[in-house]
Amino acid sequence: MPLISTRALTKRYPGGVTALDALSVEIGEGVIGLVGANGAGKSTLIKILLGLLPATDGAATVLDLDTATQGAAIRERVGYMPEHDCLPPDVSATEFVSHMARVSGLPRGAARERTADVLRHVGLYEERYRPIGGYSTGMKQRVKLAQALVHDPRLLFLDEPTNGLDPAGRDEMLDLIERIGRDFGITVVVASHLLGEIERVAGWLVAIDAGRLLRTAPLSSFTERTGMLLVETEEDGESLAARLVGRGIEAVADGRSVVVDLATGGGGEYAVYDALRDEAIDLGLAIVRIEHRRHQLEDLFRDGGVDAAIA
Amino acid sequence: MQPSPEATGTIYDIGYRDYDGPRLGRRGAISAILWAGLRSVYGMGRSGRSKVLPWGAVILAVIPAGVAVAIKVLVGDVVELYSYENYLWQIGALLPVFVAAQAPELVVNDMRHRVLPLYFSRPISRLDYVLAKLGALTIGLLPLTLLPVLLLFVGHVLAAEDVIGTLGDEVGSLPAILGSGLIHAIVLASIGLAICAVAGRRAYAAGAVLALFLIGSVTSGIFQEQGGGLAGIAPFVHPLAILDGVREWLFGGTVDGSPVASAGVPMPLYGLATLVVLGVCWLVLAIRYRSVTT
Repeated sequence: MPLISTRALTKRYPGGVTALDALSVEIGEGVIGLVGANGAGKSTLIKILLGLLPATDGAATVLDLDTATQGAAIRERVGYMPEHDCLPPDVSATEFVSHMARVSGLPRGAARERTADVLRHVGLYEERYRPIGGYSTGMKQRVKLAQALVHDPRLLFLDEPTNGLDPAGRDEMLDLIERIGRDFGITVVVASHLLGEIERVAGWLVAIDAGRLLRTAPLSSFTERTGMLLVETEEDGESLAARLVGRGIEAVADGRSVVVDLATGGGGEYAVYDALRDEAIDLGLAIVRIEHRRHQLEDLFRDGGVDAAIA
Repeated sequence: MQPSPEATGTIYDIGYRDYDGPRLGRRGAISAILWAGLRSVYGMGRSGRSKVLPWGAVILAVIPAGVAVAIKVLVGDVVELYSYENYLWQIGALLPVFVAAQAPELVVNDMRHRVLPLYFSRPISRLDYVLAKLGALTIGLLPLTLLPVLLLFVGHVLAAEDVIGTLGDEVGSLPAILGSGLIHAIVLASIGLAICAVAGRRAYAAGAVLALFLIGSVTSGIFQEQGGGLAGIAPFVHPLAILDGVREWLFGGTVDGSPVASAGVPMPLYGLATLVVLGVCWLVLAIRYRSVTT
């Protein structure tokens, strides 16, 4: 039984913008990555699923409840963490989260107890009694997550939860999301445009583009092929690419960068690194940076869409 | 110092606990917003400084009634200082100050810091939220618009030599006291919230509320002085005068000095004016909160 199910879900805004275009998808349990470029329709989908926005056409159910008519019942059992800042600066995390628990329908005592529990789980300790205005971005993100979690939802929607975090904070947030899905037994839908982050936590991916479903599949099928190396050179990369191609390695130059396929050349990944090093030395070419190509949706969606990029 | 073993227990991570207890749904949500709102109107759970104004206003509103009752008890019926009718008009200046100081507390931060999407992603509607806030401010105003007049009533009755007889005489005033207090509270709360909902910051909201009542009061006074046709519209440029008018229309009793006395317009006009004020305020609230994106 899917937790979320949409049938030909369509949303057209009055201005003529089509945010969702006949989207049909079923989402089960676990940590689900909802990926798409900015403006692909992720936030619109979440709002419809929360029963906050009427669909133009089609239908959707969440926890077997109709989003068009049973929005309030859905929102009682679902948590939502928006992308933007949404915390009042002049109250403490404890005060705010327990108020939000009560607005979710929890009685006073339960609200207080669960607030203490949840703030501990997200990693807020002594500072929870201080006004939120003085918190760091990382702490604020934790409060936002805590308020979405405090009423023990069956399902959690997180909209770009790592926005604005530094690398350490991002790692902690991703660990937390993983724990919520695995240890807390709560299904988490993480909307993000950063495939690299989604990769780390999600077991299943739903990719949408321009309001249409591109693909829904286990994460593994999206990441089968990640062996691309991005080599940035000081001068034109054309000569380096030509040398590598000469060795049977697939390499394409694009200005001062060369994209190298690690799976080609026949000698394995390390042979490609060696070849790269040798040819660069031979050419006297200075290499600025070498990195594993990070899958960003912008790349995936470029020419031919996701299927072409991951096929 | 050797800590006792009991005091240094280990904190065990007991893991995530599910919640299987009752969920109060929309009703619980509305009452939570209402009570939290009422607490914030009176600065409860906040610093001592934020309690000064609301509690000070209530005390100032109650003092005249207390004094009147004390004089009646100590000296007897020498002079009637305050009647049920003129009390709210006499303490009128306190009401806008209270609204200007406490209404922004209720709604401005939720709007300005985009907390509203967190409310709307819970089992309430936008209307529920606005009604709960309106309820909080209305109830919060009752200690000013109802309590002192009730105190006057109780004082009148208890200070009389024939308590039962006086109660019988005075009980007829109760509907007027309750009705007038409630109407004042609802209208003032609506005006306050509507202004706060469109003002971006607490200071602007407070300033706008004060300005409305101050300009209204001054303009109304000038029109009243001018007499003639202007006196007829004098009450309608000042919310408190409109409220005094609707009070007089519904429950009777003229207040000296109020522009209503000198206006000489048909009394139902005050009822109409009150409805227009409420309608405009609620329309502003509806439009403003409908446009909040989640």
